[in-house]
Amino acid sequence: MSTTFDYDFDAMLQTIKDKQWSLADIDWDAPGAETMTDELRAKMQPFMADLVWIEHVGARGFASLAKKAPTPTIKRIYEYFHAEEQKHANAELALMKRWGMLGEDGKAPEPNINVKLAIKVLDDYGDTLPLTGLATLIPLLECALDGALVKFLLDEVSDPVCHEVFRHINSDEARHITVDFKVLELIGAGPLHKLLIESIALLQPQVVLGLIVVFTPLINKMRDNIVAMGLPEQKLYNAVKRFTTIGSRGDYTSRIPAYHVLRAQAAMVIDRTSPYHRLLADPMVRLTSFIPAKVLGKPQAWVEELTHEPIAS
Amino acid sequence: MTGTEEYAGLLLRADEWRGRAFTGMSVAVLAPGREAAVIVPEVARTAREVKVFQEEPDWLVPWPVPLPGPLRRPAARLHLRLAVKDPWIRRRLTPDGRFNTRRPRVDGRYYAALQQDGCTLISWPIYAFVPEGVRSAEGIEHHVDCVILGAASVHAAPSIPAQREESCA
Repeated sequence: MSTTFDYDFDAMLQTIKDKQWSLADIDWDAPGAETMTDELRAKMQPFMADLVWIEHVGARGFASLAKKAPTPTIKRIYEYFHAEEQKHANAELALMKRWGMLGEDGKAPEPNINVKLAIKVLDDYGDTLPLTGLATLIPLLECALDGALVKFLLDEVSDPVCHEVFRHINSDEARHITVDFKVLELIGAGPLHKLLIESIALLQPQVVLGLIVVFTPLINKMRDNIVAMGLPEQKLYNAVKRFTTIGSRGDYTSRIPAYHVLRAQAAMVIDRTSPYHRLLADPMVRLTSFIPAKVLGKPQAWVEELTHEPIAS
Repeated sequence: MTGTEEYAGLLLRADEWRGRAFTGMSVAVLAPGREAAVIVPEVARTAREVKVFQEEPDWLVPWPVPLPGPLRRPAARLHLRLAVKDPWIRRRLTPDGRFNTRRPRVDGRYYAALQQDGCTLISWPIYAFVPEGVRSAEGIEHHVDCVILGAASVHAAPSIPAQREESCA
């Protein structure tokens, strides 16, 4: 059985093209950098570094989605989203530069081990994941990490340039979330046998392990960082809740088995009393912290494409 | 989107790049893989820097050996595997078999040219032209002395960009 789902992806692609912005549009030397006090700088530096890397992981996710997109238009949209996530990482790196958070070489700071694991796993297996799995995971990551982290940042920092940058980023992210869930609707409206076959294909050991070893501690590690900064973790949970809220608005998304799995995980993430934290997620954060970065091999080439320079000549 | 008329530097369309020397210049090549494969090796011989904004990759085989249909793609894949070591560059040079059904083109120099010093493969979409160069969707403005616009580029017909892109995707 299959149903029909109608959404004008061509119009969305045109909007995406019309709304492009560049780092060169922003005056990085405008007044306001002095609002970043030494105390705030020390607190925000690791947070900003995490944010840059999360955007970069998101970028790689969209690169894999582009290889799986069901139509040429959606493929093109994902290619733009890949570039936009990279742009967000570049812009956040430029903000770090503005605030004096980068070293002499201007290079991006090292990601933490959980982000490194996510990069490695996404690079090795992202392109082989069936569309249903990846298309469900990416919106959860975007809602949870991007959404929550950006909100914290804007609450903490008063620099007008930062707010200008994040007006652009949030407007891009809103389109990403819209498309993410429209694609879920499109997949959900497809033939049931295809959904089932792809879902069974998702039960490969590397996918299940990836979810447990990489994704689970990634969210909890982020929560630990947020708590360490003295911020309420409830905001992260509110962001995770958005995944379920938006997903339940669709007519066909609930036909996707992977959506139910991740929704169940999201429900456990936001329930602090759930044994999920005590027995799985928190021990995984501790366990992964013992993994030496060396076993992950040399960094992937796409990691070196990050730059804080608005102009390349 | 701002069109090519915004660009103030040297703009070469279709075949206008042939027979020129680009000594000391930084050049941006905007073309799909099948066309970039012809332009880039020639331009990279003389230019100081070449930024290859490849729009859509195509399969290439190094020699004009007559191969039966089912063997053409595996041959092209093998050529790519042997010629390009870096998996990320290789990934960006691999066509999407679902939407690109063109036969492999004969060209043995593109991959080598792309990997030589001063040559960079960029696969971010270009969304605007500015007086100094082009802006791509990763938020960076690329300043160049010369832009070479391939005849099959999505930017070659600025009045109907959407349709052109559709037919190339």
